[in-house]
Amino acid sequence: MIIVIGAGPAGLAAAEAASRNGSEVALIDSSSRLGGQYWRHRSKVTGYRSNRADEIFAKVSAAQSITHISEANIWSAEREGNLIRVNYLQGGIESSLTAEKVIIATGAYDRTLPFPGWDTPGSMTPGAAQSLLKGQGVLVGKRIIVAGTGPFLLPVATGLAEAGAEIVALIDANSPLRWSLSPLALLTNITKFSELVYYVRLMRKFRIRPHFGRAVTTFANGVATISAVNSGFHIKSGKSQAMRADVVAVGWGFVPDLSLGGILGCAQRVDSDGTVIFEVDENQLSSQPQIWIAGEATGIGGADLSLIEGEIAGLAASGQKIRHALLTERVRKQRFANALKRSYPVRDGWREWITSNTTICRCEEVKSQEIKDSVSELGAEDSRTSKLFTRAGMGLCQGRMCSRNVSEIVSGITQCAVTDGERIAASNRPIAAPISLGQLSDGKNSR
Amino acid sequence: MTQTITFTFNGNPIHCEEGQSIAAALINSDQRELRKTRFGDEPRSIFCGIGICFDCVVVVNGVANQRSCLIEAHDGMKVESAQ
Repeated sequence: MIIVIGAGPAGLAAAEAASRNGSEVALIDSSSRLGGQYWRHRSKVTGYRSNRADEIFAKVSAAQSITHISEANIWSAEREGNLIRVNYLQGGIESSLTAEKVIIATGAYDRTLPFPGWDTPGSMTPGAAQSLLKGQGVLVGKRIIVAGTGPFLLPVATGLAEAGAEIVALIDANSPLRWSLSPLALLTNITKFSELVYYVRLMRKFRIRPHFGRAVTTFANGVATISAVNSGFHIKSGKSQAMRADVVAVGWGFVPDLSLGGILGCAQRVDSDGTVIFEVDENQLSSQPQIWIAGEATGIGGADLSLIEGEIAGLAASGQKIRHALLTERVRKQRFANALKRSYPVRDGWREWITSNTTICRCEEVKSQEIKDSVSELGAEDSRTSKLFTRAGMGLCQGRMCSRNVSEIVSGITQCAVTDGERIAASNRPIAAPISLGQLSDGKNSR
Repeated sequence: MTQTITFTFNGNPIHCEEGQSIAAALINSDQRELRKTRFGDEPRSIFCGIGICFDCVVVVNGVANQRSCLIEAHDGMKVESAQ
């Protein structure tokens, strides 16, 4: 049997591909519905080329050999001889599942940067605004600023506008001119223009005007400061303006969740944009035998790339032949993914947006000044030591929100670049999701 | 098609559609603040929306640290801000 972890584009493609030769597949996901974050929906997926979701949902649902285990939160995984055991919580009950092979497709979540007011109600990630709208049918606010960087801001802003929100501003800190750095990626991915045209049409329809080279640098009492920033994200003096909004949805690209593969010992590396990702071979096989990884955890690249990587992983894990055309297609999509990283970088200048009183670790309420003091007064030389002094990254989210930012802040003070080792250490956790000792000891349900 | 259910938040009745998360139901009822922080007593709400950040944790039927963005609201549920 093959366990596929995650039912987003990569996991769905992997499960579907593996089922083609009748391989038994257990598709485990934390949500009640197929689709992951990208195809989050209530009754029907909407948005750009949503027919792709309908098609793959139909195939996965019709496949006799695929069992969908929904609303299951995986908290750990371990090897047992030649088998891999996946432990999960479902409806408060601890269960586990063993298989010969595992495909990890756990996706990513919004990357966030701290700024004064980012911890007040009304400030959230674009992903939060999107998931409330698509998954719950709830509009988060009336006057919304969508900001940060990257193409994900377009579906979020247009989706919120379509649902009736006023998009006060759509703001990207980077300049679209950066795309001129990647002519080959654009020429080999011409179809991406149709996606852009799709969103530009929607923006016109809802009168959303994009602004570039700007960022939300404070948010308090329903007022956001929009500052002009240069290519290094340093604030240009005298070019700020105040805008009223009840919600600021700010996101800086995505961070993959590496917990499960990390627990299973899958080798990682630092990608060109500083993101820690898994090493995989041309068949999406990780450094560990019988474990394949597909989608955002092998490099942030979006749904198109995830679908192809998932298909390759599914075919490889089930011992089917992989067409050469599929591998070529992955190269083409990876080229575009690399162009995205080049076009929407996150620069160090954000460290100047924070003040001494800005919350850095949301869980443990650690302020910027405490992290600075841990370096200058207590002698911390890296984020790990700073964390021990301040508790930054030791809360319920296990550092998923702040660890990368703490590393960058400490590095800014010590003037030492964050090492790859530190980045990798900060991206791994001993358990993948919190579990109480009570749940651990009660009714174990093995299959 | 969808049924309306009622749960309580800090003692006040909240009506929502069956299947909605606690956080979605509360935000839809203009109840943006979900809790106060332990040390600074600062208001917090939903942040990541997908169960990663734990900012939206509430007490559900007496069980603490439950992510309101992930847990579906049920009729008669007793939801409280963490103390």
